[in-house]
Amino acid sequence: MSETVVLETELKRPIERVWNALTDPETLSKWMLFKTNDFQPVVGHRFQFRDAPGWDGVVDCEVIEVDPPRRLAYTWSTEGVGSVPHSTVVSWTLTEDEGGVTRLRLEQSGFRPEAKQEIGGARYSWQMMLDQLQSIVAEA
Amino acid sequence: MRDVYRAVADPTRRRMLRMLAEVDELPLHEIAAQFPMGRTAVAKHLAILKEAGLVIDRKVGRETRYRLNAAPLREIQEWLSFYEQFWTQRLDRLKELVEENNE
Repeated sequence: MSETVVLETELKRPIERVWNALTDPETLSKWMLFKTNDFQPVVGHRFQFRDAPGWDGVVDCEVIEVDPPRRLAYTWSTEGVGSVPHSTVVSWTLTEDEGGVTRLRLEQSGFRPEAKQEIGGARYSWQMMLDQLQSIVAEA
Repeated sequence: MRDVYRAVADPTRRRMLRMLAEVDELPLHEIAAQFPMGRTAVAKHLAILKEAGLVIDRKVGRETRYRLNAAPLREIQEWLSFYEQFWTQRLDRLKELVEENNE
């Protein structure tokens, strides 16, 4: 059990092109499958992901970090389900390798946006907590 | 909204969950005996766990007994695996799109 979803991929294109795909509203819609037309890579900008096949509802987002072409982060909030609060942070990290290859890392963390300050300081203790919880979940 | 993450962020409450994971149920006074704090403070922690749906309590005579309910923890895991699939699919599309276009 982990507190985050982390995925990495390599794209055989320069970093600017990958950045463009993450931040250009039209391109963003094409691969996210949401019809999202109000994205802007500006900190504090609020936008929505909506109208996706197989996705019931709207995702409310707010841009919290923009450092072209290396870092992009936004909050990701949807209706909670059951007892799980559903407000997370999605962040993208781009690294350019040699030969025009871009490494892309996606991280979605389960922190609520209002608890942003906890992300750095509490990471170690969160990991401890989750390790401990793993045994509880397994046993119960 | 009930908040599982916040409920389990505290070391005392995690210890309580571990204690309860090992038994069917425990009365408040037995739980309180394990912690260097008053019974009221222990009851407050248990109330937070209860609100997050992580423990269930019941009255037996004059005492309150607590037991673990791990279902909310499983929900977190279900969400994580949902998003793992979701993003894997999206990243595949992104890769396709970026690598195909404007050769």
